[in-house]
Amino acid sequence: MPEFEPRIIAFCCNWCTYAAADIAGTSRIHYPVNVRIVRVMCSGMVDPMYVLKAFEKGADGVLIAGCHEVDCHYLNGPLKCDAMFAKLKRVANALGLGDERLRREMISTSESPIFAQVIEQMVQQLKSLGPSPLREGVKV
Amino acid sequence: MEEIKTGVYICHCGLNIAGTVDVEEVARYAGTLPSVVVARNYQYMCSDPGQALIKDDIRNLGLNRTVVASCSPRMHEPTFRRACQDAGLNPYLYEHANIREHCSWVHYDKQLATGKAKDLVRAAVRRVSCNEPLEIKERPLNSNVLVVGGGIAGIQAALDIANGEHKVYLVEKEPAVGGHMAQVDRTFPTLDCSECILTPKMTEVGQHPFITLLAYSEIKEVLGSIGSFKAKIRKKARYVDAIKCVGCGECEKKCPRRTDSEFDMGLAERGMAYIPFPQAVPHIATIDRKEERPCKAACKDACPIHMNVPGYVSLIREGKLREAYELMRRTNPLPAVCGRVCFAPCEDACNRGQMDEPVASRALKRFVADQVNVDDLEIPQVTRNGKKVAIIGGGPAGLTAAHDLALKGYEMTIFEALPEPGGMLRYGIPQYRLPKEILKKEIAYIERLGVEIKTNTYIGEETQFEDLRKSYQALFVATGAAESLRLDVPGEDLPVVIQAIEFLRNMNMGKKVEVGKRVIVIGGGNTAIDASRVARRLGAEVRIVYRRSRQEMPAASEEVEAAEAEGIKIEFLAAPTKIIAEAGNVSKVEFIKMKLGEPDESGRRRPIPIIGSEFVVDSDTVIPALGQTSDVEFAKRLGAKTSRRGMMVVNEATLETNIEGVFAGGDVTTGPAMVIDAIAAGKKAAQSIDEYLKGEAVSPKENERTPQKLSEEEVSALKKRFPYGDRVKAEEMEPEARIRSFQEAQRGYSTLEAQQESGRCLASQIEGCIECGECKDACEADAIDFSQTDQVIELEAGTVIVATGYDLFDPSVIAQYGYKKYDNVLTGLEFERLTCAAGPTEGKILLKDGREPESVAIIHCVGSRDQNYHEYCSRVCCMYGLKYAHLIKENTQAAVYQMYIDMRCFGEGYEEFYRRVCDEGVNFIRGKVAKVTEVALTEEEKGKLIVVAEDTLLGRIVRVPVDMVILCPGLEARSDAEDIAKLFAINRRADGFFLEKHVKLDPVATATDGVFIAGCCEGPKDIPDTVAQASAAAGKALSVISRGRVVIEPTIAHVNEILCQACGRCEEICDFHAPRVISKDGVRVSSVDGALCKGCGACAVVCPTGAMSVSHFTRKQINALVEALLEV
Repeated sequence: MPEFEPRIIAFCCNWCTYAAADIAGTSRIHYPVNVRIVRVMCSGMVDPMYVLKAFEKGADGVLIAGCHEVDCHYLNGPLKCDAMFAKLKRVANALGLGDERLRREMISTSESPIFAQVIEQMVQQLKSLGPSPLREGVKV
Repeated sequence: MEEIKTGVYICHCGLNIAGTVDVEEVARYAGTLPSVVVARNYQYMCSDPGQALIKDDIRNLGLNRTVVASCSPRMHEPTFRRACQDAGLNPYLYEHANIREHCSWVHYDKQLATGKAKDLVRAAVRRVSCNEPLEIKERPLNSNVLVVGGGIAGIQAALDIANGEHKVYLVEKEPAVGGHMAQVDRTFPTLDCSECILTPKMTEVGQHPFITLLAYSEIKEVLGSIGSFKAKIRKKARYVDAIKCVGCGECEKKCPRRTDSEFDMGLAERGMAYIPFPQAVPHIATIDRKEERPCKAACKDACPIHMNVPGYVSLIREGKLREAYELMRRTNPLPAVCGRVCFAPCEDACNRGQMDEPVASRALKRFVADQVNVDDLEIPQVTRNGKKVAIIGGGPAGLTAAHDLALKGYEMTIFEALPEPGGMLRYGIPQYRLPKEILKKEIAYIERLGVEIKTNTYIGEETQFEDLRKSYQALFVATGAAESLRLDVPGEDLPVVIQAIEFLRNMNMGKKVEVGKRVIVIGGGNTAIDASRVARRLGAEVRIVYRRSRQEMPAASEEVEAAEAEGIKIEFLAAPTKIIAEAGNVSKVEFIKMKLGEPDESGRRRPIPIIGSEFVVDSDTVIPALGQTSDVEFAKRLGAKTSRRGMMVVNEATLETNIEGVFAGGDVTTGPAMVIDAIAAGKKAAQSIDEYLKGEAVSPKENERTPQKLSEEEVSALKKRFPYGDRVKAEEMEPEARIRSFQEAQRGYSTLEAQQESGRCLASQIEGCIECGECKDACEADAIDFSQTDQVIELEAGTVIVATGYDLFDPSVIAQYGYKKYDNVLTGLEFERLTCAAGPTEGKILLKDGREPESVAIIHCVGSRDQNYHEYCSRVCCMYGLKYAHLIKENTQAAVYQMYIDMRCFGEGYEEFYRRVCDEGVNFIRGKVAKVTEVALTEEEKGKLIVVAEDTLLGRIVRVPVDMVILCPGLEARSDAEDIAKLFAINRRADGFFLEKHVKLDPVATATDGVFIAGCCEGPKDIPDTVAQASAAAGKALSVISRGRVVIEPTIAHVNEILCQACGRCEEICDFHAPRVISKDGVRVSSVDGALCKGCGACAVVCPTGAMSVSHFTRKQINALVEALLEV
């Protein structure tokens, strides 16, 4: 049986983390193939429903990453995202999903190695957690 | 619905993608996806042939969606969008899959990478099918520019734009433009005078036809977005009419309240009315009025000469006694006299009296007058005008007129009948109330002004009135009312009877005066009290008999109380009917009892004798004190009009008599009145005589002002704010001791008592201007206007340049450097004022004690490059430190030590200047200063400031004893930077400075379109960089203006009005004020200002109904992407 490969959806803000991922590419910083990046304009734009949709469709983990507070292109996006993320964790726990499958990071343009590292860590963690309980088409 | 036809294009990017991803396979796979009608792969999609593939397919195959899988969309998304647009496809019907940066460059395994690329392409195809065509909109643009901050950056930007003939509003918080640059003495490295190069620019800003300068103004609110900002500006009241003010500065000279000058960094003082610096633009005065005075200053209105009571009382509170004295002297030539014997109408009117007790302004006046030796006062230089004025009568009215006219340059002569001048002050008021020495000194000062006093000269004897008229151009008759009114009863001429005026005069002349054991004083005025208290001091038992009741007594109640305390009995409602002589000096006085009838013309109830109620009292001396009248025989002879009551008749508003050139005032025209009334008459006469002799029309002087009372609400509000405080009582001799001597009965305040009592004055307790009115009196242009209020100005502008500058780091937080602890530890900006020729020391580099320093240490990096304060380098300190070293070397013999970390001399001519200063013999010590101390370890260090530092080049600790330490504080973000950032939605860096849109490539733009930044608000920089950045910001603004219209991005929030419940959550969460709940056709819905919206999407997340969404990032689009990414 092949090793379990977790599937990760990463919502990345256009200005910082998406750019950090770009620079990871430019710098040829390799990281596991398990991640699929969704470009959003701001981490504050991520609706909790998108995250739940990802789990519904079989994601094993979700990363929401954007600018540090001071770098935000829209002043306070990261704070808004933090507030949303706190609620999201409660929902995830209530659903029996557990909040270990969720990750919130602030990764600036210059922190591409951190981006790669975070993906690495998530893959490791999700491998130990095993597949999402919502996988295999389980309807929420 | 139109069938979706998608074209997919996989880029090889040479081997960048194709090396790791099987592009053929991905293209093949793409071709199998629903809606895809064509899928191609190509070497370089971004090349012209690559783009031509897309364009041709759109045209030939009728594609209505396109997807390119290549590099990052941050690189080439715009390229392919343009290609679509060229071929007639809406650019938002295009989607980009990032298979290079996010795939081929970060994974090794070709199979896995190919799989991931397929996922990304599949997701893009799915997403693009949900995309909608979006329109880029345009809007007209207002070409006005709002420039915030009037330092050199704001000035430069404003001029650049205005010279391009676009309207500029330049808003400056302070009363004048110029900012920090105006405070700087010289600029490095050229050493040209900062003010000299700045002034022409300031003047130009003040006069430019395209610039509206709004100084002393602050931005309160900013709405709108690029192209149409609407700002509300609060224009603070200057309390000076900007049109009338000519900038003469008289108001500041006269203002009695002083405070530290912000411009001179507290090294000099300014008035509450002030012009910040000589070159100030606009060159008009400002009154620093922080709040409305809590009281009505009724004291000032009640005083016949309107003495500035709130002014001198508040100066006493501040401990500025000399200034308080000078202020009193402006209106009153006899302050020490009035501080004792004035009946103080000011105290009766004092608004504090409505709360508890009035402020003891008379006692405070005396206190101040007693601190100053009149003999030491300097005599002002006055140009004599050669005109001569004679004054008949050397009492308070005559002395005052002589004083005022002498100061105006007239040659003054006073003719006094008695041996000494002073009138009633000298011969009427007893010694225990007014020591003669005090009076003599104040008169001596008037004589020192050049006033000649001819005593023992009764006009009408050797010198005739007519003679005076020939030798003098004007006359002032102020002969007083020294003639006693008679009792008109039998026995009045008996030797036991002596008139009170005569009795007091004899006492005051030092004649031997004897009274019997039992003395009866008849009358109820102040003269009666004075006479009775003198008689008491001569050992008599004294009884006052007054024909009305206590209520009607004209004497001051405190005097009456003092008399009673001294054992003097007062009998009311009785009048003498005859005086009967008995053997020797003994007599009897018959009285008749009275009752009070209807009020007479004086308003008091008329006494009516009760028939048959006569009674007899034994007495040894009878002193009638019924009142006084004047001797006006000499005037009558000349044809001057006199009244039935024996007074001279004058025009009360001008004090002119019916004879040309003859004026009269004081008791001779009014009958016996108060000292302060006589002084007021003297002042009025002096003004009239001055006008008369200048050939001007003699104007009426409206001296009467009605003192205002506080309303009951005001009183109760003030009681809450100012707690009850007892009036401080000056120490007084006990009555038993008083009656044994003629010493002054009341002692003056101690300094502590005076400060305590002055602190009770409501006006003295507020900061800033207390509206004492000295400036108003001094202003010839009549520009002072206390009725002004702050104004809110609304203006529109299409672009904004923020140039709000910096604050200097406050070195007092680094306690070990001794700033504010040691006198001779200065900041750089303080040193700038010291070396400035127009500064407090006129450009001399001096220690606080006035000596020239022999050694100076200049400490670099104070608050900069320091993890405890600011980690950044402030960029200007090395250079200004070098400039100081040069200036010290140039102007003094002092040794100079530069204590630096690294020398950063990076600009044009900077390195050369560094070399030059090195060659001038300045000592450079490399190392951070640990502390500045006074604690000397050696003889050489005694009396010096010792700078302890590590010399990192020698590797040891050094102690440098110096006379002066100049700290080079860094530049920090302004304390109000956060407020400004919020107003304009500008981001700030961690260090507090404003964040540019891109640190390298867009250094003057901000996150808010149309708002640009310039100068030190963006970060520390020197003048050349600031000016360059200001011009850059102006260029950016001009570029927006020249396009003439605003492009509105379509990827912004929009509202589905059917779903919207107008809950307002979107409005709450938005930092750009883009969504607002409005009423539309009577229905409340949210509406988004497209020019303000940045498309961040926060509103869509919080929208509970899903009404709000961001175009091109809709729920449908993102969900489609997520779903497609996870499908296997």
